[in-house]
Amino acid sequence: MRYRFESNGRVYEITIERRGDSYIASVDGQPLEFELLDIQTGQLSLRFSPRLEDGQPGRPVTIFWAAEGSQKWVSLDGCTYRLDKPSARTARPTGETAGVENVRAPMPAQVRAIQVAEGERVEKGATLLLLEAMKMEIRIKSPSNGSITRLLVTSGQAVEKDQVLVEIGE
Amino acid sequence: MFKKILIANRGEIAVRVIRACREMGIQSAVVFSEADRRALHVRMADEAIPIGPSPSGQSYLSVERILQAARDCQAQAIHPGYGFLAENAGFARAVAAAGLVFIGPPPAAIEAMGDKGRARALMQASGVPVLPGYQGLDDDDILQQKAGEIGYPLLVKPAAGGGGKGMQVVERPADLSEALATARREAGHAFGDQRLILESYIPQARHIEFQVLADAHGKTLHLFERECSVQRRHQKIIEETPSPFLDPELRERMGAAAVAAARAAGYRNAGTIEFIVDAQTREFYFLEMNTRLQVEHPVTELVTGLDLVQWQLRIANGQALPFHQESLNQRGHAIECRLYAEDPANNFLPATGPLLRFIEPGGPGLRVDSGFTSGDEITIHYDPLVAKIIAWAEDRPGAIRKMSTALKETVLLGVIHNGQFLQDALSSAEFQAGAVYTTWVEDHFGDWQPPECSLPPEVLAAAALTQFQSATASTSSTAPTGADGRDPYSPWRVSNGFRLGE
Repeated sequence: MRYRFESNGRVYEITIERRGDSYIASVDGQPLEFELLDIQTGQLSLRFSPRLEDGQPGRPVTIFWAAEGSQKWVSLDGCTYRLDKPSARTARPTGETAGVENVRAPMPAQVRAIQVAEGERVEKGATLLLLEAMKMEIRIKSPSNGSITRLLVTSGQAVEKDQVLVEIGE
Repeated sequence: MFKKILIANRGEIAVRVIRACREMGIQSAVVFSEADRRALHVRMADEAIPIGPSPSGQSYLSVERILQAARDCQAQAIHPGYGFLAENAGFARAVAAAGLVFIGPPPAAIEAMGDKGRARALMQASGVPVLPGYQGLDDDDILQQKAGEIGYPLLVKPAAGGGGKGMQVVERPADLSEALATARREAGHAFGDQRLILESYIPQARHIEFQVLADAHGKTLHLFERECSVQRRHQKIIEETPSPFLDPELRERMGAAAVAAARAAGYRNAGTIEFIVDAQTREFYFLEMNTRLQVEHPVTELVTGLDLVQWQLRIANGQALPFHQESLNQRGHAIECRLYAEDPANNFLPATGPLLRFIEPGGPGLRVDSGFTSGDEITIHYDPLVAKIIAWAEDRPGAIRKMSTALKETVLLGVIHNGQFLQDALSSAEFQAGAVYTTWVEDHFGDWQPPECSLPPEVLAAAALTQFQSATASTSSTAPTGADGRDPYSPWRVSNGFRLGE
């Protein structure tokens, strides 16, 4: 069967089939053979066969994973990876139109101060507003040169993660 | 000894204090906000008392509610932990006025050290070296003029502050006005006090602090140093002891200065004198005193063999310290890494989310102080510290290797965290050589990126296998179910349909 995952803007294609006690996978065309040693809640122990083509020795690995919505979190050797359903994250959020850039809140926060007004020209890197979260001031800077077409928050307002704060047009 | 104490805190430090109480046969009561209804400290304590809504201003920072909780559970003393009300002299006074013992210093010592300007003046008067700076009448015009006299670069600090909050480095006179405005705003929000002080800024500085312990019978000792130069946003992420920078002579001079500083403040209980050390000249300067237990206290415990929380309780109960400065020594090397829910690739911004899976590392010489377990959540309301991983070994290279191994064993899924970043920092040549300074992280890791760019094929194969398994086993009648009928971790769980055709 074929599966596709997206991570950091790249899409990977994997096929898997079972052959006796082993599994044969192809990751972006690269063949991998492994055995399932143990399967537990959110945890897989696999033993990969040596790879003849690049001399990589076979090794047992334990991989931890958890699903959250369409996202999969996977951990191996202290590294954490996030895999998503392709195009779920690359799709444009609804309501975004060409030529307009939405500046979003990086995390849930409270608006502390607004340093621009609607219609004002801003340069890339200029501070648009200040948020406060976890007792920390977060400066929200302009991602591009443009003008403020819409200011969607007021000082003191609580905002959610990814909530649009400011719209910047050309 | 106390029969019961109230712990006015949450997270790992509340858990740490609960454990000390248990070992000493003391009953522990904790307080909790709505967001912490099912938190680990609540699950572990002997008694748990709700004190209000999730925002800390209406719960963990409410003096009235905490005192009421202490009365309700008939606690004899209150341990404030760190943060929240730990360095609030008014709270310490209110605790005493309610007839309870505050497990910490006298309110006057908190006040003397809490005001950065007053603390500087007190240290100057006591012969403890301070940086060139200005504390006094706070007015933008005067600050502008004084800044010119001190010279650039300089540091603008909230007078009531601590922990690096609201601090601004100013490189040139032209940037001073904006820095003053920002610092005032942050100081106002964080401390409710907009006053500022100025200090000369040392670019290649090391942050080296000394742990002190003082009893109520006139004995003040230091428990050696902690090197905390690995910082981001002026906040520590890796701490260790002994410091790779100190030699015995400098250690002795700084230790003596730390004891003098604590004595000058009339200090009692556990506290920390922070120093800035100029890496070029090896001169040291008083930075501030933290009048409480520090986050990084475990490294001191591992090399001195003393339990600081238990000593806090004994000192508060009037016991005298039975040991002397000469009988204390540093054995081996300890390193602490702070595992934070934050994004090192995006200015270390705090992250929130569920801890879908959290597996702590283990093994000989390893300690994990954590306030969370799998299923808990990191929320916007509180500090994003998930756990402290502390490694002890015979020497520094051994401790670094042990820490690297521990970080590789740690599993934390569901929230963006700094685990990979910590591994990269530890394995860098500068850290291994002990050649770090307070802006090292900014200077060397400004463009750090997570390892997702090199996604191992094993991870992808395993991710695909989880779905392959659920597809081939979806008809199985043995599928386990959670409370909601869907075990989120189950390898059998039917996926969200992003499998392509056969």
